[in-house]
Amino acid sequence: MTSDSFVSASVSHLSPPEDGGSHSDLQIRFKSEANRLLLLMPPDGDGDANVNTWDELWSQLKQRLAGGERFWQPETSVHLIARDRLLDARQLQSIADILGSVQLRLKRVYTSRRQTAIAAVTQGYSVEQDPPVAHLNQSANDVNQPLADPLYIQTTVRSGMEIRHPGTIVVLGDVNPGGTIVADGDVIIWGRLKGIAQAGASGNQRCLIMALRMEPTQIRIANLVARAPENPPSEYYPEVAYAMAEGIRITKASAFKIPYGTGA
Amino acid sequence: MKRVIVITSGKGGVGKTTCTANLGMALAQLGKSVAVVDADFGLRNLDLLLGLENRIVYTVVDVVAGDCRLDQALVKDKRQPQLVLLAAAQNRTKDAVNPEQMGNLVREVAESYDYVLVDCPAGIEMGFQNAIAGANEAIVVTTPEIAAVRDADRVIGLLEANDVRSLRLVVNRLRAGMVQEDQMMSVEDVKEILAIPLVGVVPDDEKVIVSTNRGEPLVLSTDVSLAGIAFQNIAQRLEGEDIPFLDLSAAHDDIFSRIRRMFRNKNDQRR
Ligand SMILES: Nc1ncnc2c1ncn2[C@@H]1O[C@H](COP(=O)(O)OP(=O)(O)OP(=O)(O)O)[C@@H](O)[C@H]1O
Ligand SMILES: [Mg+2]
Repeated sequence: MTSDSFVSASVSHLSPPEDGGSHSDLQIRFKSEANRLLLLMPPDGDGDANVNTWDELWSQLKQRLAGGERFWQPETSVHLIARDRLLDARQLQSIADILGSVQLRLKRVYTSRRQTAIAAVTQGYSVEQDPPVAHLNQSANDVNQPLADPLYIQTTVRSGMEIRHPGTIVVLGDVNPGGTIVADGDVIIWGRLKGIAQAGASGNQRCLIMALRMEPTQIRIANLVARAPENPPSEYYPEVAYAMAEGIRITKASAFKIPYGTGA
Repeated sequence: MKRVIVITSGKGGVGKTTCTANLGMALAQLGKSVAVVDADFGLRNLDLLLGLENRIVYTVVDVVAGDCRLDQALVKDKRQPQLVLLAAAQNRTKDAVNPEQMGNLVREVAESYDYVLVDCPAGIEMGFQNAIAGANEAIVVTTPEIAAVRDADRVIGLLEANDVRSLRLVVNRLRAGMVQEDQMMSVEDVKEILAIPLVGVVPDDEKVIVSTNRGEPLVLSTDVSLAGIAFQNIAQRLEGEDIPFLDLSAAHDDIFSRIRRMFRNKNDQRR
């Protein structure tokens, strides 16, 4: 795209995120802590229609492992935070196996469900059973939660794939048409952005979207939306999208300055 | 390891069955033993393309149900004894078989053949899950159209998620003239999005339709055709040979389109 170019006519407002972002759209994620790795499962949500099924969790886990392959330190212990999710012995075994395939070792399981605890004990893992209440309290209704660590993922985000993360997302690879990235923080695409990217998904308008090549279907920052111009530009540069009062603007990365001058 | 290759696309009608029939036959011509398996339950037509419809007695469903032995259901091709067909049931729905059964069946077939090619139905539902069960490779077929490429991309993501990791791309029905006129996506455009290795480009060719109606795969025909050669080339590339890609534009390259192309290249530096 040439200079500050997104057609401002195409900018519109989204309705604010439901209830400050509900937990149901969370995905599986890793968090490193001291010399162990936490594998955090999204809460089950008690029969809520929106929750992740096992199949979805499983493909998210595979995606995360494949996308971060280079970074796993061999023989790191993994603590699985299963929250209120029911896991049977076979599912626990699958998790242990796939972690094992990148030389991560499942050591301990935290759960608030008796059945999961029993399954884990039977498989020989240390188990910590927490009362379910503790987990309900840390639900996302608390809008001022700090952002999670950035998610770094090396993959092509293909049509139909959606990556969500309650922090910044860095993709090393292309985001194809039909692929979606939703971050509570910034979105950084070291590749071509052709699909949909949303930064500041829980409402922060100061979040940014950056791509080596911006050809998105749509970009969103907080509650603002912009489409790509009808006519593709004649040349592409790395660009940054940011929100202004009048809508989303895009500028060459080399000319970009943080607009509000806050923070930095 | 025996090669079990699923031929898939996401979008319907892009040429999966045509590819399966022709690649199966071309590999058999190279001396390989090949089983082609129709996983498109309810809408089977691999048997038609191979001209074997009237010889089918048992289908995948019969084998899975234990109503016949596997070898009874494998139909030998009369022209090419290296090739056998395992047909899909016509009257039963895709729910008659589950991925686990299909995977076991395909692996059993693979024990006796160099190649098993599985013709996948369109879509990404149960039929797709059945077809990819047991596959260790995939050929993703697309036409150079936005919707087909989008669906192919989706399917590649699903294949990767299901641990089918050796993926190759066939671009079918390419019309070089239209590409030159900028009216069709080029092979490069398709490759840029899908980002998997290209194993073949098959031109749009009337002879494909004629051969379909005759039940005689193009690669068997004595009448040489570009599409037939393209399929034979793909078979050789699957065998690891380094075969250069056909120059499909040659036939269309009159002086006018060359001038137009030069002109366009000057004005259009964006790719
Ligand atoms: N290279 C080609 N040139 C011309 N026609 C073609 C070519 N490839 C396929 N066709 C035609 O396109 C039609 C669809 O082909 P085919 O049945 O192989 O597609 P398919 O992907 O198996 O479809 P389905 O999704 O319904 O199973 C057929 O009529 C076939 O003859
Ligand atoms: Mg077909």
